[in-house]
Amino acid sequence: MSLLQEVAVGEPDPIRTPRVSGSTLRVVVSKVVRAIITLAFVVVFNFFLFRMLPGDPIGLYTRGRNQDAEQIAQLRRDLNKPLWEQFITYISNPFDPGIDSTRFSRPVWELIGERIWPTILLLGTAIVLASIIGIWLGIRAGWKPGGRFDKVSTGTTLTLYSMPEFWLGMMLLIVFGVGAFGIPGFFPVGGISTPGVDTSSPAGWLNVLWHLVLPCTTLLLIYLADYALVMRASLIDERKQEYLMLARAKGLRDAMVRKKHAVPNALLPTITLIFLSLGFVVTGAITVETVYSWPGLGLLTYEALRGPDIPLLQAVFLVFSIAVVGANLIAELLYIVIDPRVRQ
Amino acid sequence: MTTIAGQRRRLALSRFWTQFRHDRAGMTGLIILGIFILTAILAPILISPDALDVTQAEGDRFDPPSLAYPLGTDESGRSILLLLAWGTRISLTVGLAATIISMVIGTAVGIMAGHFRGVGSHALVGVTDWFLVIPFLPLAIVLATVLGPSTLNLIIVIGITSWAGTARLIRAQTMSIEGRPYIERSRALGAGNWHQMTRHVLPNVFPLVLANTTLTVAIVILSETTLSFLGLGDPLAPSWGAILDRAFSTGAVSQGAWWYVLPPGICVVLVVLAFTLVGRAMERIVDPRGSTA
Amino acid sequence: MIRRMIAAVAAATVALAPAAAITPAQAADPVVFTVGMLNDIDSLNPFTGILAESYEMFQLQYATLLSSSATDFTPAPGLAESWEESADGSTWTYKLRPDLVWSDGTPLTANDVVYTFNRILDGRYEQRNYGSYVRNITSVEATDDRTVVMTVAAPSPIMERLAVYILPEHVWSGVDAKAVKSFANEPEAGQTLVGSGPFLVTERRSGQFIRMVANDTYFNGRPAVDELVFRVYNNPDALGQALIKGEVDFASGLTADVFSTLEGKEGITTYAGGYSGFNELAFNMGAALTDGTPIGDGNPHMQDQQVRLAISHAIDRQQLVDRILDGYGTPGSTVIPPVYPTLHVDPGTQSYDPALANQILDDAGYAMGPDGVRVGPDGEPMRYRLFVRSDSDTSVRSGEFFKNYMAAVGIEAEIKPVDENALFEIIGRGEFDMFEWGWVVEPDPDYQLSTFTCGKRSYEDGGEIYADLSDSFFCDEEYDRLYSAQAVETDQTARAALVQQMQTIIYDQVAYVVTYYYDNLEAFRSDRFTGFVGQPEGTGSLLFQYGTHSYEAVEPISADDGGTDPTSSPSPGATTAAEEPAETAQSSSSTGLIIGLIVAALVIIGLVVLLVRMRSKSAADTKE
Repeated sequence: MSLLQEVAVGEPDPIRTPRVSGSTLRVVVSKVVRAIITLAFVVVFNFFLFRMLPGDPIGLYTRGRNQDAEQIAQLRRDLNKPLWEQFITYISNPFDPGIDSTRFSRPVWELIGERIWPTILLLGTAIVLASIIGIWLGIRAGWKPGGRFDKVSTGTTLTLYSMPEFWLGMMLLIVFGVGAFGIPGFFPVGGISTPGVDTSSPAGWLNVLWHLVLPCTTLLLIYLADYALVMRASLIDERKQEYLMLARAKGLRDAMVRKKHAVPNALLPTITLIFLSLGFVVTGAITVETVYSWPGLGLLTYEALRGPDIPLLQAVFLVFSIAVVGANLIAELLYIVIDPRVRQ
Repeated sequence: MTTIAGQRRRLALSRFWTQFRHDRAGMTGLIILGIFILTAILAPILISPDALDVTQAEGDRFDPPSLAYPLGTDESGRSILLLLAWGTRISLTVGLAATIISMVIGTAVGIMAGHFRGVGSHALVGVTDWFLVIPFLPLAIVLATVLGPSTLNLIIVIGITSWAGTARLIRAQTMSIEGRPYIERSRALGAGNWHQMTRHVLPNVFPLVLANTTLTVAIVILSETTLSFLGLGDPLAPSWGAILDRAFSTGAVSQGAWWYVLPPGICVVLVVLAFTLVGRAMERIVDPRGSTA
Repeated sequence: MIRRMIAAVAAATVALAPAAAITPAQAADPVVFTVGMLNDIDSLNPFTGILAESYEMFQLQYATLLSSSATDFTPAPGLAESWEESADGSTWTYKLRPDLVWSDGTPLTANDVVYTFNRILDGRYEQRNYGSYVRNITSVEATDDRTVVMTVAAPSPIMERLAVYILPEHVWSGVDAKAVKSFANEPEAGQTLVGSGPFLVTERRSGQFIRMVANDTYFNGRPAVDELVFRVYNNPDALGQALIKGEVDFASGLTADVFSTLEGKEGITTYAGGYSGFNELAFNMGAALTDGTPIGDGNPHMQDQQVRLAISHAIDRQQLVDRILDGYGTPGSTVIPPVYPTLHVDPGTQSYDPALANQILDDAGYAMGPDGVRVGPDGEPMRYRLFVRSDSDTSVRSGEFFKNYMAAVGIEAEIKPVDENALFEIIGRGEFDMFEWGWVVEPDPDYQLSTFTCGKRSYEDGGEIYADLSDSFFCDEEYDRLYSAQAVETDQTARAALVQQMQTIIYDQVAYVVTYYYDNLEAFRSDRFTGFVGQPEGTGSLLFQYGTHSYEAVEPISADDGGTDPTSSPSPGATTAAEEPAETAQSSSSTGLIIGLIVAALVIIGLVVLLVRMRSKSAADTKE
């Protein structure tokens, strides 16, 4: 969604830093420092925000357990230390909030470590496929703007764009998972693999792939729309450049101009955007994983909302922030590598 | 002076409308929006509250579409068509209210960050960048959890998580406007910061703000749907997202009750698409260079 | 949810333990009984795990001194074959069965029992799950290898309900007080955990399955199935599909919609068993601390019994069962559910009758106001806050029903959805008028009944007010007297009479409107397995009971239907679909994922390289 905003605002603006004067190293260092400062803010924000939450987590946590009042009071005293003391404990290790996940009664970092891989698999596959298909669509649509292909593809992508990804997921699940409108439910209704299947065997991989199809298609369609629109826009921009006019005037074949000049240049902003969006697409995972019971960080977030499971929610927010800030940093560094103009 | 300015503005408006009328995509969006807004306004007149009363619902659980229930029934036997009509009201209200918050914050921060120099400006840019970098949904989830589930809180959460893009755009625009000679002249004549910002910058960025607003509404409605689906809205106010949440958590998907899932989604898509079309059309007119289509 | 974790009591029906280990000739295919469940366990360490699923593993792995009978939950023999209270009520003597052994062959003696209890008595961490059982115990001694004597501070019926898993001292003595906190208690490759229950854990893969094998040395006889597998499904639809496809033989904890899709499917039997949980609409009967200091801002109308009674009559419990539970439940009455037939009582006086509700309110001086909302004798309108749990769909929906029921009798309820965490605190501070929540009730009613005593109202600690167990702030002298009496009444019949009297007081005072008792929805492959035992018999749940009755009794349906040796007669379907879970898989499930990742990473790197090359080439081109 934020990606949409990015597009709505106009061309992506990955070079938020001032024009560089100085060595590449200095640029890199300054970007890394910025990322760290951003994350430091997240940590502080995270800490104070959750201290504002109403509720008595210890009470809820111990309710129904065979503990007497004295033990519960002791637990509460442990938790209700002075704010600065809590803050220091938290800062020293933000991943270990000291109390277990209230929902799973397990350490939060253990849960995150378990759940992070399925998310990476799902998002990784969806993004790679979406960028390839999206860029291809964008090139075809953007080279002849206003043509039939452009009209159909832009119309479709705009519609996909306007869809809540979880709704698309629910519809695909009803039609292809449960079966509706005469289509038999061909795909599994949820999960990452059939329980009991050995996921380290080739048959197990196939099983995982089988489960991956619907959630991945859902995300793919949504991301594809983003990438295609950006690629199209930047190709249209590129076409207006003087050197292209010149190249065509010189009589170079159209296909040649497109392949050799326009596309490579137009790819630059698109690829950067793909990396910039890496962080944002994480959010799509929250709802889609929920719909498909895909046991990743997104589903974990949804599960943490019940209660709510504050230690878990806090940690998940931190992980997402790190992912996003990290992806942004990579995008910016990548830009330095591939665009000589920034390096000067 | 005000009359001259007023006249000029009215003229600009009619010129804008003439241009807009010829934009087919924009007009399509506007008509769709008109239908939804009409539904939202008329909903309380057309629907008696009894129709949404769970204890008096006469339909069966998950009835497929029929003459009595054109879009079938929900898990309590209520008509989904009526729920949707009522939901239009809530979704649009949340969408517009949150957009206003977002635009006010975004415009104010953008103009100030563009106008002032020094530490204050740096701080504003820093905050804007921070909001741009932090993933929207996790942040919104965290804020909504802290504030508790209610429609008002949802509006606040969406409002304060979605202004950063606008602020960045307005800041750039402000800086370019302030470079114009007449502003420099007024500054030389001793105009205060407030005067410069409200009298010169704001009117100039306003068309852009307006175009951006319609695009923001689209995003905000999507956000509302997503957050409500996650159960962070008022579970009793049947916004489209909340309807989808109900459908999901009561097992409509496993029952194959597509009539409970399909219509709310189509409403969202139509409204978001309509706002996007209108917004893009406006952008084409207001700022022909910056448009992407 | 305010849920009592199912603190289960391992069970055994009386039978003489076969001294010699039965080792049936292992046929080619062992009989595997596979159970699908919706939550993974949190730990195999009985001092750590708190989820109902974990307790199921504990009671299968470790026997307890006494158990709960399948028929009606009455105390039954476990490791102890007999037990008795001394005449003055100061000591309890448990006599263990003869020749008990652990699964590794080590004798199981009174010393193991003493070790386990002392560990809990002396340990801080160890008390987390078992504190309430040992609170009354002052010492535990072994007078000989088969006799355990416990001294108690006061007579207590809890001594027949000690759901404490007896642990092998020779294994656990190696786990000290510090190590126990992080001790996973998981089997090493190829080994089984040393235990005394009917099944022994042999493999666990987090988030996927727990595999157990039959215990040859189980005192009640080796179970009929060879292996017991619990598979974790993370959504009910997938679980339902798995049962249809035969991946599992038993599906537990189904949702109503999945359950109804399974009804009538060939080879599958659906079973809506009575469960020990109920949901209620609770009232703020005058929030106060234990010393009687009023707290909170509850509407004083709620302290009028006539108002609560009118609301009770205004609520259509049957409609709630039909609409919210889809029919899988029974309308509620008192706070001890009917699955406990010896304890439950239903006075049956508060039927759905809106006319009567209106009448009661009219008579009590709550006259109808012009806007359809009644006005109390104090001049205040009957307008109340009704809290529901935003995390629970059924809670929110119940709230909508309550609101409409009350509107019909001139009461306006303002629904306030908050998360459970926040609601817990709001209740503790008495800042509510009504709320919707639920309880799960143990076979021993003490805990549930204690939630209505004066002493369990909120308390103050360091300037903060904290909730204790009471959420209605019910406080009644007669009730408290009965509570103290039942707490020391060790005669089950006499105690049941007291418990019923107490339920009636709560019912008549309308501290809760118990809306419904929900069913536990289970389904199983009746074409493959038979012999399930409900608890209580005939109506109760088949698995996840207080005891391991069904696991011990379940047997495959054999071709000739007469085979006593389950392994000799191949059962239809049992070997085809119920594959053994991933035996060879040593590496974790992420192997496949990592490979996927590497592929993805390569693609990205490839793209970037390609891009850089094209970029530099095109730059070179333009320079020309």
